[in-house]
Amino acid sequence: MTDIPAHLPHRYPFLLVDRVLEREAGVRVVAEKLVTNGEPYLQGHFEGRPLVPGVLLLEMLAQAGGFLEADPLHGAAIFLAGVQDARFKAPALPGDRLRLDVRAEGAFAGLMKVRGTVSCEGRELCTASLLVKRL
Amino acid sequence: MSDLKLRVKEMVIERLKLEGMTPDQIEDEAPLFGDGLGLDSIDALELVLGIEQVFGVKIEDEAAGLKAFKSVRALTDFIAEHSKA
Repeated sequence: MTDIPAHLPHRYPFLLVDRVLEREAGVRVVAEKLVTNGEPYLQGHFEGRPLVPGVLLLEMLAQAGGFLEADPLHGAAIFLAGVQDARFKAPALPGDRLRLDVRAEGAFAGLMKVRGTVSCEGRELCTASLLVKRL
Repeated sequence: MSDLKLRVKEMVIERLKLEGMTPDQIEDEAPLFGDGLGLDSIDALELVLGIEQVFGVKIEDEAAGLKAFKSVRALTDFIAEHSKA
């Protein structure tokens, strides 16, 4: 069991990782986010038809990717530097248990590239590569 | 143009999605970063990953990158030197 708030500085309403299932620092992370009707952003996205904004799926992958770092991210200057080849194949809905699978692709000069997949019950909802910069 | 140099240029074009560019439009001596092709730090990471994937050569750190990314000719030499092992 990983203590998520001890590792990530994100807090309500922007902490988007609920559980870390597998973690090999620098290599691979598998985490989960459980979507509920209580999510604040679902109130307005959309009225009568709640679905998780695609950009938040990318944010979930970025936060899950934070666990690739061995040390806690509190106080670390790490920012999203790019998003590549993002595909949204199906919406994430209230009740979904989202699996966030993130793999490190490589790093050079303070930049790290990761490849992530959000899936639900074996179905891919979103795939993207993220570039993360450490200042 | 040497075969390896051509493959390096093709890899640069493909990896960096320099659409519409052909290998003969990239000068051998032009710097890859700054005034030459004007690449940025994300492009540098893409090249590092491309070089590893296509040629099996690792650019371990920034010092090696500084040397290898001086020009296409420097990069070709770097790959030729390190892929012998």
